[in-house]
Amino acid sequence: MPTVTFLPGFRKTEVKSGSTLLQAAQQAGIHMNVVCGGLGKCGKCTVYVKSGRYDFDCEKFGKFFSPEELDAGACLACQTSVLEDVRVLIPEESIVQEQKILIDVMGISTELNPAVWKYALTLSPPSLDDPSPDLTRLLWGIEKAGGPKEGDIYAPLEVIRRIPRVLRESGWKVTATVVLVPGGYRLIDIEKGDTSPACYGAAVDLGTTTVVVFIRNLIDGSIMGVASNYNRQISCGEDILSRVTFARKGGLKKLQSLAAESINAAITEAANKAGVDREHIYEVVVAGNTIMTHILMGIDPAYMIEEPYVPVVRRYLTAAAGRAGLEVGEDSGLFIFPAVSDFIGGDIIADILASGMAESEEISLLIDIGTNFEVVLGNRDWMFACAGAAGPALEGGEVLFGMRANAGAIEQISLDLETLTPAYRTIRHTKPKGLCGSGLIDLLAELLRACIIDRTGRINTAIDHERIRAGRQVPEFVVAWKEETGIGKDIVITENDVKALIMSKASILAACRTLMNQAGITRDEIAHIYFSGAFGNYISKENAIVIGLIPEVPVERITPIGNGAIEGANLVLLNRRKKKFLDEIARKIAYIELNAEPSFMDEYTGSCFLPHTDLSLFPTVEEMLGKCRMRRGVP
Amino acid sequence: MALKALDIYKLLPKKNCKECGEPTCLTFAMKLASGKVKPEDCPYLDEKAREILGASTRPPVQRVKVGVGERSFAIGEEIVQFRHEKTFFHEPGIMTAVSDRMDADTIQAIVADVRDHLLVRIGLDLRLNGIAIRSESGAPAAFAAAVEAVEAVADLPEVLLAEDPAVQEAGLAVCGNYRPLIHAATRDQYREMCALAVKYGCPLAIRAPTLDALADLSGLCTAAGAGHLVLDLTSPSLHETLNSAVAVRQHAITRTTPALGYPVFIDTRPSGLPDAALICGVLKFGSILVTDAISDESRKAFLVLRQNIYTDPQKPIQITPGIYRVGSPGPDAPVLLTVNFSLTYFTLQGYLEASGVDSFMLIVDTEGLSVLTSVAAGKLSETLVRDALKEFGVPDLVDHRKLIIPGYAAPLSGKIEDETGWKVLVGPRDAADIAEFLEKEWP
Amino acid sequence: MTLSTLSDWTGEVGTVTIGALKADGGTRSTTVTIGGERDLSFIGSPPTGHRPLIAFELCDDPSLWPAPVTKFLGDRASDPAEWARWAGQEYAPDLIRLFLTSTRRRGFSDFASVTTTVENVLQATGLPLIIEGSNDPELDSEVFRRIGEAGEGERLLIGTAEAARYRSIAASAMAYGHLVIAQSPIDINLAKQLNILLREIGLPHDRIVIDPYTGALGYGFEYSYSVMERIRYAALKGDEDLAMPMISSAIDSLTVKEVREADPSGIEKISVAWELYAMLPATIAGASIVCVRHPSTILPLRAGIDAFWPAPSGGGGA
Repeated sequence: MPTVTFLPGFRKTEVKSGSTLLQAAQQAGIHMNVVCGGLGKCGKCTVYVKSGRYDFDCEKFGKFFSPEELDAGACLACQTSVLEDVRVLIPEESIVQEQKILIDVMGISTELNPAVWKYALTLSPPSLDDPSPDLTRLLWGIEKAGGPKEGDIYAPLEVIRRIPRVLRESGWKVTATVVLVPGGYRLIDIEKGDTSPACYGAAVDLGTTTVVVFIRNLIDGSIMGVASNYNRQISCGEDILSRVTFARKGGLKKLQSLAAESINAAITEAANKAGVDREHIYEVVVAGNTIMTHILMGIDPAYMIEEPYVPVVRRYLTAAAGRAGLEVGEDSGLFIFPAVSDFIGGDIIADILASGMAESEEISLLIDIGTNFEVVLGNRDWMFACAGAAGPALEGGEVLFGMRANAGAIEQISLDLETLTPAYRTIRHTKPKGLCGSGLIDLLAELLRACIIDRTGRINTAIDHERIRAGRQVPEFVVAWKEETGIGKDIVITENDVKALIMSKASILAACRTLMNQAGITRDEIAHIYFSGAFGNYISKENAIVIGLIPEVPVERITPIGNGAIEGANLVLLNRRKKKFLDEIARKIAYIELNAEPSFMDEYTGSCFLPHTDLSLFPTVEEMLGKCRMRRGVP
Repeated sequence: MALKALDIYKLLPKKNCKECGEPTCLTFAMKLASGKVKPEDCPYLDEKAREILGASTRPPVQRVKVGVGERSFAIGEEIVQFRHEKTFFHEPGIMTAVSDRMDADTIQAIVADVRDHLLVRIGLDLRLNGIAIRSESGAPAAFAAAVEAVEAVADLPEVLLAEDPAVQEAGLAVCGNYRPLIHAATRDQYREMCALAVKYGCPLAIRAPTLDALADLSGLCTAAGAGHLVLDLTSPSLHETLNSAVAVRQHAITRTTPALGYPVFIDTRPSGLPDAALICGVLKFGSILVTDAISDESRKAFLVLRQNIYTDPQKPIQITPGIYRVGSPGPDAPVLLTVNFSLTYFTLQGYLEASGVDSFMLIVDTEGLSVLTSVAAGKLSETLVRDALKEFGVPDLVDHRKLIIPGYAAPLSGKIEDETGWKVLVGPRDAADIAEFLEKEWP
Repeated sequence: MTLSTLSDWTGEVGTVTIGALKADGGTRSTTVTIGGERDLSFIGSPPTGHRPLIAFELCDDPSLWPAPVTKFLGDRASDPAEWARWAGQEYAPDLIRLFLTSTRRRGFSDFASVTTTVENVLQATGLPLIIEGSNDPELDSEVFRRIGEAGEGERLLIGTAEAARYRSIAASAMAYGHLVIAQSPIDINLAKQLNILLREIGLPHDRIVIDPYTGALGYGFEYSYSVMERIRYAALKGDEDLAMPMISSAIDSLTVKEVREADPSGIEKISVAWELYAMLPATIAGASIVCVRHPSTILPLRAGIDAFWPAPSGGGGA
């Protein structure tokens, strides 16, 4: 079998002749960018073969490369088959980059009521006078220590098998761990000596792109460790649809194990940092979108992307963590958030929980923005929710110099309205390489303020300024000259980029407005807008309103709740009483299918304008823009 | 104004009992607001709520049925003034007129023509609806003979235009069991006409010089037991007819004057402009349109206009599938596939026009879904593309076999190639990039 | 009590006057005024606002014109000035709408012909003129400058501004005192957006006529019909960015399958029917100017409009 050596790093792996380099890389544990899911369409998995024989169709895929690059052995990993030993250079941009993943957690306090108890027991050994069996002795000990009644605790066979030896080897000084699961109390572990302070749980946000893990001390609630990494399923396709397609082609098992692996890696990292033994993690609470949680539980998501879009399960799920391949205590509990529909998953329920909107009389609007977005409107009595695709523009995708929130991304920008000179800040303060979502929103608002673009996003090429130029296909605005960038070329935003951004923001605003219309609510009645997700934490609230990403409300009503999914998972981990409330929230929500809602398209075209075609919905923005036009000498 | 879901929700018991078949009271409220369920479906509505909801969801224009059997049709049940507010439900029946002064052969030729006339458009059968028999001789026997001549040829719905109760009764004696529309009761003879309507169980058209008089007459007729009324708004002035029809609809749907909550009748003859009168009737709330025979061209245009106006505008806005030309494409022009969602269509068309490349757009039926959703929902499939290529004769239009598909349909490219034998080029995801794409990829 | 239409309208459609008499710096023998409605079309006795008008469409390159018309016209179709003169005299439309289709041919560069054609047609007819220029951003600036210049003082209605290309045409209208047709693809939001864009570059609302784009009967006409109704409704409800009069032209009417495939003997009748059954409804939906290409449509269309508007006809001017 040929050996593939990956450079830099010299990671080696053996593959069958004819395997693709992408398969080899996956086997070697290298996570490559595969936006198109390995169809040879996106050109993101570029590699350079340095030596050895391989098969790659330069005719068909040559369009991704310059002649120089082809000479240097450039090819697409997904379309290149290995014929003999090869040495392959993977450039940095082809490897999935570490991203600015949101792990800040708002300090919501909750009562500490975990579903795990550890009892340090000193039992009297059996004797002829006291011949009760080991298990009964142990359970009585628990009862005496203030735990549940002996008869109420179920002990699984695996644990019972360990009892006699542990009791005797420890000299009858043991620690028993009991968890509360839907079936009742369950004895899940017995250890020698007193390990009662080592009582931990893990809260997990299982996202399509990233996985975030918190390890909490369940005795005092403190945060022991935090870790995050990419969801390793990315190597099977970037977006959720391509994952389901992958699952359909027999890849469910692989996706399931990648999900578990991603969680395990994050748990291990967090546990190692905190000096926590993973065996002492007794409950894992996972919030994720419906498809991710289905996959983690090994449930086929294939039918969820077809009409009528029905998930297999909606209620919350529990299981032994080991059954999902999670490397914590074998019998530890695994709790999966409930969902509302295919499109409104446990992550959104977690958002709602974290925001507190389901407990308030005031009306809140919750927006979770990613490539897909979810919007929830309501209060403690009623809730409407919808979901849709916003396109990748707001995350930097499909924008010429768009990028994820990695080092070098412009995350904040403003223009001098006289000279049109930008002032910007990049992530990690390195030279700019591109613009991430928050930077793009700022830029859009600033271009509008400076009257460089009109309200439909067209660049006014009549303005005589060196930064405004015709561009190769469409007009563009130069954000940074090549001398100041970290990529050796001018960073520009094109008219097409602007339009893609407007279309993305329009879907979100139209979704908000559709829910508001459905409920008969005006913007004045919205007491809170909660932004969930990485995106919401970094964007400028003012500019989000200027471009009409969200309805105009006083900015003080807007609160980013950070990563609501991990927040909600933490709350449930610390306070088991929230679990029941989750189902209540899920039941309360009326899901609105935007595609079936006739007014949605109308709202959408109305929203494809900065900030909106009905200017009266954005009174203060209008006033501001009027002043800007006056200053720019535009009537 | 219809109630919003949340207003309805406030009136519901909020038990989430699921007995109505909906998961929550809120979803029930949403469906009630959009007319998909009835208030009675909720077993726990209190009296007051029932009253409010019943009043706000019952159609303000009464349903009336004309004729029996296959060709019978219903009118009324309309709830809006503008079709964009929801939709118009029951398209007007066009009733071709014959006269009792015509000989039987002439009558029968007209009736047979109405019976057999058929225009098929977008897969739907467009038909003329029925026959109006005018009493012009004033003689009961002649009228009965004319009705008999009609009946001999077809079981079409009928309007009996005879204001003399004796003449009317002679007609009803022939066809009264087939629910013809009786035309028309006036202030002078409404008692007799109502008695006939009751006796034969027929709908009754009523006529009065002003809307006020019409509303009064409507009350008198319902009191006399004739419940299925139709309001005749015919005037020699189409301006009058249009104004009355708009007024009647406004009074009906706002429930300002419930006595006007009935379908509308228009006879095109007095205006002397049958085309204009038919147009007026189709657009502005006519339900029974009587006309003397019109040209085949007018008839075609009328049927298509009626179909257009009575199409539900709230279904996703769709473009009729087919092949559309941008510029003047020749046999070497590119063929671009996209979906029949109108926004997609217009966007692509706009950019294609701007690109200056003459081309064909192949629009396939994805039920108005966009590319992304139709791919995800499995509505855009290789078989659909194969059938569309064939149905619209694309192989005869071009001498190449290359198809450009939208970027979001990339996952289907292989399957389309296999199914159609055409070479597939994956185009950009954004129509804005089409010019650049064509410049680079199209020879 | 007297039952009549109910209305709680607060808005009013603006008025627009097209054409200029000698006294006003033009050479037109009549001018027309449209708009001014305070209710739905034809509602009220007499109806509010101005009577809907008929524009007769012609072009300077008949190879791009529908066959039923060019056959009907014979040689006249080769000379737009004669075409306009003849139509004005024989069929008495209210306006002439000239499409400079020659500019839409690939590789067009004969800008001088734009000036000549516009000048010739202005001389040949005294009716107010609508001029449709190029639809290529590369040509627009020069074509619209020439149209504007050739018709300076005539208060032409020039088209067509779209969201993607409105600056050149607006600039020409502002420089030479003309009016602009603002076209958007069958969508009330897009129509409003374009009006806002035009306002924000300095073209006042009373110089704009909305073209909501009209699909042919059976080919999307219902969308156009409803969009026109919605625009009128919005204007009457007080939305000033939609309170302009509308122009409607179902330009594909004579190239649809029903007409193309008609028996030659019936081609005139089906042409008239297809134009009449779209344009008369358009006036009811709210269009102030409706356009036809077949001369024979003018008479029945006029009769229809007059039947809905019984007040004495003032040629649309009153």
